[in-house]
Amino acid sequence: MLKHWWKILAVLILLYTFTVGLLVPLGPGITAIAPQSLTTGKVVQLKIEGYNSHYASATEKSAWLKVGKNLTLPATKIEAASEQDMLLTFEIPAHFPGEKKVASASLILDNDIDGSSVKPSAVVLTQETLAPEGAALAWSTATLTGLHDKSGMNFPFRNILAETIRNTYFHVPLWFGMMILFLVSVIYSIRYLLYLQPKDDWKAVAFTRVGVLYGMLGLLTGALWAKWTWGAYWSWDIKQNMSAIAMLIYLAYFVLRGSLDDMEKQAKIGAVFNIFAFAALIPLLFVIPRLTSSLHPGNGGNPGLGSEDLDNTMRMVFYPAIIGWTLLGVWMSNLLHRMDRIKEYLFDRM
Amino acid sequence: MHLIKEVGALLRKELVLEWRLRYAISGILLYVLSTVYIVYASFVAVQPQTWNALFWIIVLFASVNAVAKSFVQESGNRQLYYYSLANPTAIILAKIIYNTGLLLLLTLLSYGAFSLVGGNPVKDYKLFFTGLFLGSVGFSITFTFISAIASKTNNSASLMAILSFPIIIPILMSLIKLNAGALRLIQDTAIWKDIMTLVAIDMILIALSLILFPFLWRD
Repeated sequence: MLKHWWKILAVLILLYTFTVGLLVPLGPGITAIAPQSLTTGKVVQLKIEGYNSHYASATEKSAWLKVGKNLTLPATKIEAASEQDMLLTFEIPAHFPGEKKVASASLILDNDIDGSSVKPSAVVLTQETLAPEGAALAWSTATLTGLHDKSGMNFPFRNILAETIRNTYFHVPLWFGMMILFLVSVIYSIRYLLYLQPKDDWKAVAFTRVGVLYGMLGLLTGALWAKWTWGAYWSWDIKQNMSAIAMLIYLAYFVLRGSLDDMEKQAKIGAVFNIFAFAALIPLLFVIPRLTSSLHPGNGGNPGLGSEDLDNTMRMVFYPAIIGWTLLGVWMSNLLHRMDRIKEYLFDRM
Repeated sequence: MHLIKEVGALLRKELVLEWRLRYAISGILLYVLSTVYIVYASFVAVQPQTWNALFWIIVLFASVNAVAKSFVQESGNRQLYYYSLANPTAIILAKIIYNTGLLLLLTLLSYGAFSLVGGNPVKDYKLFFTGLFLGSVGFSITFTFISAIASKTNNSASLMAILSFPIIIPILMSLIKLNAGALRLIQDTAIWKDIMTLVAIDMILIALSLILFPFLWRD
């Protein structure tokens, strides 16, 4: 029992990942605003639709429109129709500063239950004429104070991702797991070439097989995520292409092994190809997406796993998820190569 | 010093062999010409964007065919003879150098034939020929090493394509991007980054080939 502690750990971590990752609610966010285009100098009513919000039961509510870096305009009236629907009234002054007739404004909501939430570029403001030089403006330049913090455990609400943010605990760790499994497989291939022990080759094959499974699952979860966020299952994103190529290479590895009859030849040539393919491909998975534009975070100037993508609550699930998925992969590889060993044993006895 | 001498002798052998079996090289050259002609006949007018992609695809297929024979054409017995005479590193190095020369010739011929029938949209010749050179080196290393692997199997022709195409795609993508710069299809201020990537890929591949080939050749 004691020597299987890591398998128990893998099961526990994955149970934790699935329960916490799927059950912890998202923080409040803003899903819809109507109308989206406003003209200045009028009193307008904005209909707000919230997600996981508590507009009706909150007592201290406030809302602002924000233009540029620091100009804010508070709402004059806030009526909550239900927990998810709210009507905001803004008296928009005749002018907003700047050289342009059109500006996009963000909407900031705050209440004592949900804390504050922001929808960037929520509405478009249009002014008839530019603000006259030196005119006093109704927009406030003071920084917003008295914003509430959301208490309790929540995953952040991101405007494009919404609930799909939970895929972070599946899609991303599966790729991490795949990389680790392929790396271990290459290490066993190197060991095989050095010591020519068949058991190293069995391990290399087992790790590659599970690595390919993880890669396929990574592609699948990625495609589903891409459908939701980018609008298509396959967008010819550089990382999608590179991963598909990685799968082709490793499938070719199995074809190569299959086309050799002699076990020893299979092991040796397989090991050589495994090392060559890994070293030719895996660095490129990291280098090439950085050189070209990509829709993935962390590429083409987008931030990677920084504070923009992960908050502390998500880290509490994300990091264990990487360990859990990797351990599960190692466990599956172990089972596979032990099966090979049993087959060999039975083959020898018959 | 010893290695250089061996590589020189093996290179001379490759050249003599090619000269004596002239049909092989003429076959490849004819292959390029007929492919170019087919492409021209089916496209008639080729836009620069298409020109770029088609050019590299023609070069890719011609290269596979040209290099695939490097380990297959000589019989197992004769290979055993070489192995008993020469260092495996010298053998793979000689093959790679020879194939690089062959592929350079091939790409230049493809370029000549293609620009003759499909027009010549190249604007930046320095960049274009840098791309051709780096591409030939990358193709030569990858295909030579993969043909060494594929020659150990029974259906080497199809395995050659299966094994080498996925590995060559990153090189091919970088090349197409580099050439898009040379054709002024894109304005890229950091083109040296692509060149460095290609050089780095070529370096990784040659290092791996030299390290791994000694494990491969002795059955």
